[in-house]
Amino acid sequence: MVARQSRSDRRELVRERIFDAVSLTAAVALVATIVLFLLQLFIASKDSRAAFGLPFLWRSEWNPVTEQFGALPMIVGTLITGFGALLVSTPFALGVAIFLADYANRRIAGPVKSLIGLLGGLPSVIFGLWGLFVLVPLVSRFEVWFGHLVGSEALVSAGTTGVGLLSAILLLAIMILPFSASLILESLIVVPAELREGALALGATKWDTIQNIELPYIRRSTVGALVLALGRALGETMAVTMVIGNGIRMPHSLFDPSNTLASAIANQFLEATSPLYISSLIELGLILFVLAILINVAARVILRRGVET
Amino acid sequence: MRGRTFKNALMSVLVAAAAVVIIAILVVMIWHIFFSGVRYLNWDFFTKAPAVFGEAGGGVFNAIVGSVLITLVASALGTPFGVFAGIYVAEHEDQRFASAVRLCADALQGVPSIVIGIFGYTFLVARFRSYSALSASIALAFMFIPTTARVTEEVLLLVPSSLKEAAYALGARRSSVVWNISIKSAASGITSGLLTSMARIAGETAPLLFTAFGSRYIEWNMLRPMSALPLQIYIDAGSPYPAQQQQAWSAAFVLILLILLLQYGIRFVISRVLRVKA
Repeated sequence: MVARQSRSDRRELVRERIFDAVSLTAAVALVATIVLFLLQLFIASKDSRAAFGLPFLWRSEWNPVTEQFGALPMIVGTLITGFGALLVSTPFALGVAIFLADYANRRIAGPVKSLIGLLGGLPSVIFGLWGLFVLVPLVSRFEVWFGHLVGSEALVSAGTTGVGLLSAILLLAIMILPFSASLILESLIVVPAELREGALALGATKWDTIQNIELPYIRRSTVGALVLALGRALGETMAVTMVIGNGIRMPHSLFDPSNTLASAIANQFLEATSPLYISSLIELGLILFVLAILINVAARVILRRGVET
Repeated sequence: MRGRTFKNALMSVLVAAAAVVIIAILVVMIWHIFFSGVRYLNWDFFTKAPAVFGEAGGGVFNAIVGSVLITLVASALGTPFGVFAGIYVAEHEDQRFASAVRLCADALQGVPSIVIGIFGYTFLVARFRSYSALSASIALAFMFIPTTARVTEEVLLLVPSSLKEAAYALGARRSSVVWNISIKSAASGITSGLLTSMARIAGETAPLLFTAFGSRYIEWNMLRPMSALPLQIYIDAGSPYPAQQQQAWSAAFVLILLILLLQYGIRFVISRVLRVKA
């Protein structure tokens, strides 16, 4: 009796050990993935780092013919499209979230929420397809109209394709909206009802309550959500690639074709033949990777502190 | 006093206007994709490989096969890692290493898809000197793992601790508590998390560009270049021929159907078969 019990006990102990080992391995693998990515991209960009060093980050020439590469045009393009999209979409995201939380009744809020959820799950390439065939022609018409308005011959004659920074910003703004709106909505919903009711009982109007009670309450989580949305916008690849026009010079206006770090890789990697060209593109990927990790960690730190206080 | 009520009215209008603008844009988008997609659909589209460049006819059967194979293999590779990492974090919730793992999973979720693609190229394609669907699956598995790990963890944390404590009080070890209590009561949540992750990677294009590469033939061998729906949409959309562009719209429609099927259809079937609420 005693011996049999100990045997099953031993078997259970072995199972326990295996289980612990497997789950620990999976957890370690997850951490190792980040290190692996960093190492692999670092090693593969060796040629470019040896040729250009740190000035790669602020050199503004990107010329595959003379093999002179600098990341500044792509970094500028990434920041302009990312922050531009955030700027355009945030008022609407806040508006939709407040509308759904405080104004809409359940019959309207339900379908709208599922519509936003559906859009949030659409693949990036489908946004790109829509952007290319619907948004870009509209932007192109706007460009011609704007060119006539300010009397710029150059814009009327040159800027009629519609692809460029402006199209990318607008498309990105639409793409990150479902994401930021649903995150803001989540935090609006958990504002304690007593706070809201207290303000209303004191005679505050609905907007007084939103402005003085709800918005301050969700400030930190909104900032976190917006940083996450920015991270998405900066790294968004396919949609931007399809509408930004693959320009390799520094952009001078919002109508110029340009590139982000991500779109430069997607547009040029398969055409790149020389090792230096390839490794420069990989270094763009390395910059993007580090940028994305930093932004995401920052967002999580902001959000986590928000939970504690 | 009047200023306050006026501001209240003004802001109600503005908030409603923001909502209306956004809803209008979203509805227009859906409408475009739906009708442009449906217009060019026919039976050939689902059963044939693409026609010669520039000619009408043909279909995207090769891309449908590719998408299904690549997604399935990626999920099969990623599921054990993702689920077990999730279990680890949920079981060691209060430890510093577990929160580091959680942070890594969050950070990995934010890695741009093109970086995953270029990693897949340098890590696999350049090393084995050939584009292949398998390298695409491995690249996608790196996107699959962090989302699965986070969902699994969140679902496991919802399991009532009284259930687990009762099992521990009976002398059960951690492995059997996790297997027999946590996993069983969280099974539906984990399954729907897996399906959501699958739906997400099924729509990815950028990781496939330099790994699966694309192919115009119906390909079943995972070690060879293969097409996939998102890849086909990207290539067709960039083509100057109207026939190809129309094919892109229809392929987009089929891709959305596939994603909706993964997200809602299969969940519905599972909930009926297993009689659990997924």
